[in-house]
Amino acid sequence: MSRGNLLISAILWSVVALFVIYPLSFLMIESFKIAGTDRYGLQNYIDFFKDPYYLKTFGNTLLLGVLVLATTTLVGLPLAYILARYRLKGKVLFTALILLPIVLPAYAGAFALIVLFGKMGTINLLLMDWGLISKPINFVFGLHGLVFIQALHLLPFIVLSISAGFTNIDPSLEEAAEVEGASGWKRFLTVTLPLTSPNYLAGAVIVFLWPFTDWLTPLIFGQQDYLPSIAYINIAYHFTDMHRKYMGIVSVVISSLICVGIFLASKTWVEKKKYTALSKGTTLEGRIIETGLFTKVWAYAYMLFIAVFVLLIPIVLGLSAFSRRWVLQPFPSYWTLDNFRLIFLETPILLKNSFVFSAVALLFGVTFGLPAAYLITRTKVPGKDTLDFVITLMLAFPGIAVGVSYLLAFWEGIPLATHWIIMPLSLFIRRLPYFLRMAHASYLQLDVSLEEASEVSGAGKFKTFINISLPLLLKGVFVGLVMFFIMAFQEISTAIFLYRGGWETLPIGIYLNWHRGMEFGIAGAMAFLMIVIIFVLLLIVARIGGGILGAAWGSSGGKY
Amino acid sequence: MAFIKIENLFKKFGTMVAVNHIDLEVIQGEILTLLGPSGCGKTTTLRCIAGLERPDEGDVLIDGKPMFSKGFVPPSQREIGMVFQNYAVWPHLRVFDNVAYGLKLQRLPKEEIKRRVNEVLESVGLSGLGKRYPGQLSGGQQQRVALARALVRNPKVLLLDEPLSNLDAKLRERMRFEIKSLVRRMNMTSVYVTHDQAEAMVISDRIAVMESGNIVQVGAPEEIYKKPANRFVADFIGTTNFIPGEIAEIRENQIYVTTEFGQKILCKVFDSATAVPDQKVHVSIRPEDIEVYAEPSGSRDNVFKGTIMHRAYLGNFLNFFVNVDHTMIRVQVPYHLRQKEGEELYLYLNPEKCIALP
Amino acid sequence: MARVVMENVSKFFGTVQAVKDFNLTVEDKEFAILVGPSGCGKSTALRMIAGLEEPTTGTISIGDRLVNDLPPKDRDIAMVFQEYALYPHMSVYKNMAFGLKLRKFPKQEIDQRVREAAEILGIQDFLDRKPKQLSGGQRQRVAVGRAIVRKPAVFLFDEPLSNLDAKLRVQMRAELSKLHDRLQTTMIYVTHDQVEAMTMGTKIVVMKDGVIQQVGPPLEVYNYPVNLFVAGFIGSPVMNFVPCRILSQEGRLLIDAGSFQLLIPEKRIPSYHPLVHSEAIFGIRPKDIYDRAFAPEHLKENSVRSVIDVIEPLGSEIHLNVTAGQHNLVAVVDVQTTYRVHQEIEIVFDLDRMHLFEKDPPNLRIKAEG
Repeated sequence: MSRGNLLISAILWSVVALFVIYPLSFLMIESFKIAGTDRYGLQNYIDFFKDPYYLKTFGNTLLLGVLVLATTTLVGLPLAYILARYRLKGKVLFTALILLPIVLPAYAGAFALIVLFGKMGTINLLLMDWGLISKPINFVFGLHGLVFIQALHLLPFIVLSISAGFTNIDPSLEEAAEVEGASGWKRFLTVTLPLTSPNYLAGAVIVFLWPFTDWLTPLIFGQQDYLPSIAYINIAYHFTDMHRKYMGIVSVVISSLICVGIFLASKTWVEKKKYTALSKGTTLEGRIIETGLFTKVWAYAYMLFIAVFVLLIPIVLGLSAFSRRWVLQPFPSYWTLDNFRLIFLETPILLKNSFVFSAVALLFGVTFGLPAAYLITRTKVPGKDTLDFVITLMLAFPGIAVGVSYLLAFWEGIPLATHWIIMPLSLFIRRLPYFLRMAHASYLQLDVSLEEASEVSGAGKFKTFINISLPLLLKGVFVGLVMFFIMAFQEISTAIFLYRGGWETLPIGIYLNWHRGMEFGIAGAMAFLMIVIIFVLLLIVARIGGGILGAAWGSSGGKY
Repeated sequence: MAFIKIENLFKKFGTMVAVNHIDLEVIQGEILTLLGPSGCGKTTTLRCIAGLERPDEGDVLIDGKPMFSKGFVPPSQREIGMVFQNYAVWPHLRVFDNVAYGLKLQRLPKEEIKRRVNEVLESVGLSGLGKRYPGQLSGGQQQRVALARALVRNPKVLLLDEPLSNLDAKLRERMRFEIKSLVRRMNMTSVYVTHDQAEAMVISDRIAVMESGNIVQVGAPEEIYKKPANRFVADFIGTTNFIPGEIAEIRENQIYVTTEFGQKILCKVFDSATAVPDQKVHVSIRPEDIEVYAEPSGSRDNVFKGTIMHRAYLGNFLNFFVNVDHTMIRVQVPYHLRQKEGEELYLYLNPEKCIALP
Repeated sequence: MARVVMENVSKFFGTVQAVKDFNLTVEDKEFAILVGPSGCGKSTALRMIAGLEEPTTGTISIGDRLVNDLPPKDRDIAMVFQEYALYPHMSVYKNMAFGLKLRKFPKQEIDQRVREAAEILGIQDFLDRKPKQLSGGQRQRVAVGRAIVRKPAVFLFDEPLSNLDAKLRVQMRAELSKLHDRLQTTMIYVTHDQVEAMTMGTKIVVMKDGVIQQVGPPLEVYNYPVNLFVAGFIGSPVMNFVPCRILSQEGRLLIDAGSFQLLIPEKRIPSYHPLVHSEAIFGIRPKDIYDRAFAPEHLKENSVRSVIDVIEPLGSEIHLNVTAGQHNLVAVVDVQTTYRVHQEIEIVFDLDRMHLFEKDPPNLRIKAEG
């Protein structure tokens, strides 16, 4: 065991211990505290499960998860097939478009939807103007609205994972089935689909667990009877009511446990089912089908249908960004740049904070992620698998859990929460697995013997890393960096607990403007600005990473 | 003189023992091949020599210097050159820079680097291609780059890990010839790993045959071919006939083996230390060591009558599959023999070539 | 009864023509082997027979049916892939039963056929395993088994042995030959390995750049290659080629290779006479070059002095790389030879087995009597 590797391991472990294990265990322990005493016990949990209100909340969240998963699967499966298998002109553009929601914050979509479909939104007003209805229809407020907006937001996860599954199948497996007599649906059902199931599951878990982590969207739609939402309300607004505060903490812990549990279960299942290792040498794009005219038209129509919904979000936000007083009228009538003047001139701090916090988080991410990826893929340091495991678990932890635990853990004892560094720090910890995963994936694609050849040629470990590994990893790592930045840039669920006056970021600004009932235009303009920034970053990624599809998924084409 | 010395090397992965306490010496200037089926531990052994794998027990000495027991010597300090199965040519560097990589690390003057790289590129037949990227080369050319890169620093030891297995059959034949003459010319101590016995026979000065983590025999190709230590080696190296039987009689330097069908075979190659009467053995005889006659020639030992069941063209010779008392014996005969399937003939199994193996 | 006929078939991928004007008839029960270097179009040709690629032009028929418009499943074929293409999520048994289930065979018959095939291939003990629990050779057998159970009219093999160890490859070769003898079904097999072609096929089809070079039984192709490419591709070690000039002297013809001259056998004089004074390429297989000490007496008039550069002992035969004048030659000699490197050796040529090729592409072989 080389001493250098052990040192790296020790440093990484202390970071994880201090910023992951310590606050999260703090949260766990806190949830057992009996209000008003110094004693610990199960009382909080008993109260939670005895209270019909919290049980209902729990049931609602579960139901939402099931419905969102069902919707995305039904809509996403055909789309994934089209994108993975058909040779169509403009596929790359459509892919980029359809996958756009993955990088847009869910709350931005929710705003746009309210403007369009709300009680006094464009559609209702138009319908009433034309005399088709006399009372506004409730399009979005309620479970159906939540299902719609979350399904729209999460569709890319399902589409990406299934289409990756379709692409990764060794073409000869399907050809063998065809030769044996299974064509069309038969082949699809007996061979293609089962082989895709591990990929599907990976995406499905993200989708299903989303309602356990997203507290903001339900609130925007006026719903608070969901676990994370009620947790937020209890902790953020009723921290003086000890009972409600502890019910909030218990909600957070229960959400976290469900997320982690399901995540782990699916991970175990996928590991067991791993099919890809068996056949080597799959082609880069997998099996491609030349389509007939009928199929082509059908495919385009389907893609267009989904693209329209996706495009509504930036269009509505754009309209509101450049207008004022878009209330009680189907379309804005007063056009202005005033919103942007407010953002850039009166509160430039928001923009500055967003960039600074994300950049610092990014710096943390690289300093931590590259050595971690190296350690996990290339060494045999004891405990490295556990390190990988702990970091990967962060994928499952809801942002709200990180936020609450930081608030609890870093207030007294280690008073980090009073310094602005807590903001980028929490962003970094929250998105820790993203960067690591991408660096990891690039590392796995990099054939070990390329590095071994360098060592044999006389280069030490460090020189090998600089001369061989880094240049070859760069593309993948760079894509990872940008994606990390995008994620950090739109982060709200953690930050909302930790920010203090002067630390507001753009997403927090959006939330506050909406929450304080100020004019929607400013929130819209901020959201629009964010979309533009994200889009520019994505273009950079696409340039380098080869296709937004790959970029969004974090694995950049070129295999060595 | 032993230039590389492997002492009591042991390595396991999880519970699977890959290399099981082996000892081996590689003499200065020779090409030694580790030969065996996949999973026999040959590549792991090679990677221990390179320092890419650390053994659980034992040591490797290169030029008298211990590589593990007196502190681990990293691959970069071992002065070795290595050719990998998948070439491992760096895709982001031009051919010239791939080859020059090790020299640049030694901070040699630019002029010298240029001279030496061009020299070695020429010797592997790649002059003029230095400016290309590996992606623009064929598989055979990439293999040459890998070879050039391994040779350019004049390493003490050259290690080759199945370097030809990704090439197609024709190219493989040519490259094995080229590699051998190049390594010979540079007089480099080499360890070569392969699962292809023909490649091993052609390229090596000595062969170490491995099976499930153990070395079962070490020797010159001819020796291993002619005097295999056991049935595994006899079967793995080349083609042979096994005739099961029991030892009937032991004399000073020869034994008689009774086959299942009551025939007696005289064998002159056997292990006199272990042979006992009634012991079950297999008599191994190579197809090319069997002579064919149309008539029984006198009353010699080891002449058996048989019927040609099958005639097959195999390589540069003709093969007869001859049924002798329900035992199928394969015989390699000159191309011009005219005997047809169904005809009878007499086989003479030269006792000097008959090997009794337990 | 299935005869496979391809008429005027060609296939374009974009602007690249992978297969050109392909005409081939594989008779019923034949074991036909498409062989050629990588990129010669052999796999594409096979995949068109399977229906996995559509020919750009031309017709393909299996049995009496034109199959151009039939999907693979209706062609009554089975195919074994290079990467085995076993379904990783099914057990060996299910892999083998899959095709029969699709065709709604009764359970009992499926079971019987699977077990029968498993027995033929010696995999009866692995039926419950998943493919990833098998070794390379076992997976290969399962892939073959999956093809056998269906009792198709035609078997297609796409380089099925190329992922196996050398030793295992030799063994599987023999097993596949036996299988063909036993099943008596039409088989079409693609490989880049000429040894596989020579040892297994009843008919071999040599391809290069999408074009068929020669079709015939293995020995015919070996003994009478139509051009320089086929002569060089078939046979191992590669045939020796020496640029030469044909001379006429005192009623005999001579091959003038610069540093040495060889006397052409009398019976070939009529065939080669038109070439006198012109340039050609002389071809001789390594096995037709002898160490003078072991050569038949009547050949000794054509002996040449040479120096040994490399000796490649393969156990059952020895390859000598020698230099004669400015020419490098390879000879396969008897294992009894005791020469050492750098020694001088006198070699003799069996010119009854010589070949002459035209100097210019397509380097056709000059036909000769005898």
